[in-house]
Amino acid sequence: MSTATSNSYLDNLLQSWQRPPASSWLDQLRANAMDSVGTLRMPSTQDEEWRFTDISPLSRLPYPVAHAAPKVQLSDIKHCYLEEASCRLVFVDGQFVPELSNIADNASAIIGNLSSLLPTGDTIARYLGQLAEFQNDVFTALNTAFLRDSACIIIPKNKSVTTPIHLLFISKQTEVTSYPRCLLIAEAGSNATIIEDYITTEEAPYVTNSVVEMSLANTAHVNHIRVQRDNQQAFHIGNCTVSLAHASQYHSVSITLGAYISRYNLNVILSGEGAECAADGLVLISGRQLADTHTFIDHAKPHGKSRQLHKCIVDGMAHGVFNGKIMVRPHAQLTDSTQLSRNLLLTNKARIDTKPQLEIFADDVKCAHGATVGQLDKEEIFYLKSRGLSELTARNLLTYAFGGEVIDRIPISSLKRQLEEIVLARTQIS
Amino acid sequence: MSAVLQNLVNQPYKHGFVTEIESDIAPKGLNEEIIRLISSKKNEPEWLLAFRLQAYEKWLSMSEPQWQNVNYPKIDYQSISYYSAPKPKKKLASMDEVDPELLRTFEKLGVPMHERAALAGVAVDVIFDSVSVATTYKEKLAEVGIIFCSISEAVQTHPELIKKYLGTVVPVGDNFYAALNSAVFTDGSFCFIPKGVKCPMDLSTYFRINTEESGQFERTLIIAEEGASVSYLEGCTAPKFDTNQLHAAVVELIALDNAEIKYSTVQNWYAGDEKGVGGIYNFVTKRGLAKGVNSRISWTQVETGAAITWKYPSCILRGENSVGEFYSVAVTNNYQQADTGTKMIHIGRNTRSTIISKSISAGYSNSSYRGLVRIAPTAENARNYSQCDSMLIGDQCGANTFPYIQVNNNSAKVEHEASTSKIGEDQLFYFFQRGIGAEEAVSMIINGFCKEVFQQLPMEFAVEATKLLSFKLEGSVG
Amino acid sequence: MINQDSKTILEVRGLHANVNGIEILKGLDLTVKSGEIHAIMGLNGSGKSTFAKILAGHPAYEVTAGTIIFNDQNLFDLEPEERARAGVFLAFQYPIEIPGVANNQFLRLAYNTVQSQRGKEELDPLEFDDFVREKMKLLEMNPDFLDRSVNEGFSGGEKKRNEILQMALLEPKLAILDETDSGLDIDALRIVANGVNQLTNKDNATILVTHYQRLLDYIVPDYVHVMEAGRIIKTSGKELAKELEAHGYDWINADDHSKTAGVRL
Repeated sequence: MSTATSNSYLDNLLQSWQRPPASSWLDQLRANAMDSVGTLRMPSTQDEEWRFTDISPLSRLPYPVAHAAPKVQLSDIKHCYLEEASCRLVFVDGQFVPELSNIADNASAIIGNLSSLLPTGDTIARYLGQLAEFQNDVFTALNTAFLRDSACIIIPKNKSVTTPIHLLFISKQTEVTSYPRCLLIAEAGSNATIIEDYITTEEAPYVTNSVVEMSLANTAHVNHIRVQRDNQQAFHIGNCTVSLAHASQYHSVSITLGAYISRYNLNVILSGEGAECAADGLVLISGRQLADTHTFIDHAKPHGKSRQLHKCIVDGMAHGVFNGKIMVRPHAQLTDSTQLSRNLLLTNKARIDTKPQLEIFADDVKCAHGATVGQLDKEEIFYLKSRGLSELTARNLLTYAFGGEVIDRIPISSLKRQLEEIVLARTQIS
Repeated sequence: MSAVLQNLVNQPYKHGFVTEIESDIAPKGLNEEIIRLISSKKNEPEWLLAFRLQAYEKWLSMSEPQWQNVNYPKIDYQSISYYSAPKPKKKLASMDEVDPELLRTFEKLGVPMHERAALAGVAVDVIFDSVSVATTYKEKLAEVGIIFCSISEAVQTHPELIKKYLGTVVPVGDNFYAALNSAVFTDGSFCFIPKGVKCPMDLSTYFRINTEESGQFERTLIIAEEGASVSYLEGCTAPKFDTNQLHAAVVELIALDNAEIKYSTVQNWYAGDEKGVGGIYNFVTKRGLAKGVNSRISWTQVETGAAITWKYPSCILRGENSVGEFYSVAVTNNYQQADTGTKMIHIGRNTRSTIISKSISAGYSNSSYRGLVRIAPTAENARNYSQCDSMLIGDQCGANTFPYIQVNNNSAKVEHEASTSKIGEDQLFYFFQRGIGAEEAVSMIINGFCKEVFQQLPMEFAVEATKLLSFKLEGSVG
Repeated sequence: MINQDSKTILEVRGLHANVNGIEILKGLDLTVKSGEIHAIMGLNGSGKSTFAKILAGHPAYEVTAGTIIFNDQNLFDLEPEERARAGVFLAFQYPIEIPGVANNQFLRLAYNTVQSQRGKEELDPLEFDDFVREKMKLLEMNPDFLDRSVNEGFSGGEKKRNEILQMALLEPKLAILDETDSGLDIDALRIVANGVNQLTNKDNATILVTHYQRLLDYIVPDYVHVMEAGRIIKTSGKELAKELEAHGYDWINADDHSKTAGVRL
């Protein structure tokens, strides 16, 4: 069990941090976050929220903060580009790379990185660091303390960005920690689709610690697709906080394929009446990977609706963790919420810990959750075999179909195609 | 209409009287001396004292669990008396010599202690504060080789069985309250069903807390040998006090090959008043070991009382093909808090478990289901089905579901379903339109909601539970 | 059947009612005598179903003015369950599902409650079982219904039959059938209508709330009322329903307009 006293990862980072002269709001934010880091410790499996995810391997690594972004060849990353996305922001080790990016002259939105947009007004200052609370989460606090750059997207009132916005976060240096960051402000009645995409060109370990904040004003509509395709040595901690105002709609699909140990926290607060949220996920892991997804859907106001389908396909000796909490606050009447956690174990060394969780404090609500863990349905395999498929083909087909249900919910066909190929390749056990 | 519902839930507690009886009470506080005192009062063998002292040592090093979803002021374990017994006038030769005051108390509670007046076909062990005061039908059971007596008596008469099994399912240091119980337990029931015997009648224990300052720490041990079976019932009540009494029991069940133990509880401890003052803290560790092949352990509980309930009757399914079951109805009202559920630990091959949990919350109460289903790597082909339904009456109460599912074997099949509902206005109106009034309508809806659990109860208990529930919820619907 | 000497069962005068603060009924008058069958027709939103629910005392509807006398009693003095016991029966347009409560249990409780109110003998489960099975034959119902939860998983037609079965058990003085024909195929409609016809007699009365003429081919009304905007705007004999079927509801308004036009000329 790791303890706060022997943590070279945290110690190393703490030492490298230099208190800025605290001149701007941004410096103040960083300094406050660093103060929080000082009061927090690395979580251990003693903490209920980290019960099944032992990050002690990370605690032993003295990975410093990634500095100057090294050059990335276009040819190395081109295959991840999405043809539908007219707008693309590329970050290497957390830092913006304009020459790989393409900020089309988009009249419908303000899109760019932190330093280029800071002078344009105080909107960013009002939102950045407001949703992602760092007081109780050491990783959010670290990301905020080391905040240097960020993707910033502001969709003005009643504007609709018709093509997806692709945020491509590339890990290039190994044995370093990078802090990707994203802020989305969807003003009233606006509409956008964001793809948050993590890739790497390397095969050695590194740490990604990302923070995303999304604020949806009244009736705004945001599609959020998150793809984590780090290498199998990497550590990935992601935090995303979404706030939904009156009648806004947030649809997210999260796909987790990579990392040795990954943790994704998605917090959605339905803070206005009649808000709607769909939070789907697919985790496909093998070898010794561990993927932990924690979601928290917080119904704070009446007439909210949430839908969640989370699937894990666990192969090899991998370990999938899902903790899905749904809270219905007092007076959030007429909330309608369903959640389903479905898990497929492909080998007898694979492991699943799932905890769908309902906390309900209003009486006139419709809430249901369910969880299943199992292997492929023998009847279905038999049926396919009776139609002439081999056992292996039948299994592969069914496994692929199991994951396909989530991928199908991604509204971008080129990304869907890329992911389908990956899932197909991964599920072809021979 | 919710005003009608509210009125339906608030009924006075029937069992809140105190019996005036002279008691032998140990001084308050917990230390080695007190443990030695308890042990010597019970004339216990040395090994049992050692068991207690070891537990006490563990307890000292432990802290109260914090993870459960309940709130209460810190308990001062030094202000509790750990031993309280009605002073016997003289040594009892038969049931007729039991203190008439005690007999009257249990008559009043509906537990007749005279065998001729007893519930037909139910043997009863009666526990008053810290000690067992009477056991009915002992001789009749002895004819088929069944031992049914207080655990203190069994320590004297069958020390080898106690020594062999006590603490084997719930180790002394299992958790804070189990360690406390292991150190200071005063009495409880003991049942031993020998090989091949199907117990001819239901066995039952009735627990009564009477003294304000004492805690109740009973210990129950039930062993069903190969091919044996037994159905065991437990009931509890306590007087009304403004203070909180601690009830920290431990129950251990052991089922060998092909054996079957069915354990049913109707818990109606004093729950505190409508402002949440007083009531029993019910912190209980119950666990069954399905040790043998084809063994079966089944827990059924109807939890209506207690200010705070913290209990997770569990099954360790070690034997091949063994079966664990948990059927629960938890009703909370006013400021009651319940954090209850089960653990199903699948170790053996082809083990199966079923969890049916129903919670009904009214007033300002809070009810949580917390359950663990663990499939160990050795548990080939394990199966679990869980269903947790909550019903809320009013908008000031809460219902939570915390199912933990841990699967380490890919041949397992685990299914969990949960839902939340309320008694709808339109449902009530439908009843009204057919001439049926609010009370009957609510009682019918609630009984329908709990049907799968009530079906598991023995007949007398099912009737009792139904009455208790309509009582409990009277005044909360409307 | 119309018999001028019959006793008045229901007398509605100047009824105004709101739901969620919106006025739905705006001065409704209606008199029903024993032995009579009344059909209330009208477009969706005209207030037909609101009127049916108000008779039964649904809490969502607020009566703001007017009187209803039922069997010489002020209906507003009675709680919903007291109205039911006094003989007001509503066959719901959308019968609600009550999971967990067995139909036979529910039917027996309702039956015995009303019986004891009338000073008649209650039935034990075995006697009731025989009794209810007999009644079910009338509606060609499968005995399986008894063991299922009230209306849960019933098809639309099954729910409607269950409503009429309850009517048969409770023998109301005044039965209000709210869109009982909706969702029924022609065979089911025939069975349900046949059941209703067997239950009507000179001592009770029936109000059929319906949108279509179809049901009235099987249950022949003595009066047909047309509702619009919360009032009865036209009352006539059974032939009115056929006219409505042939010409649509606009026909009545067209008629009115021509009259108005005539005055103007």
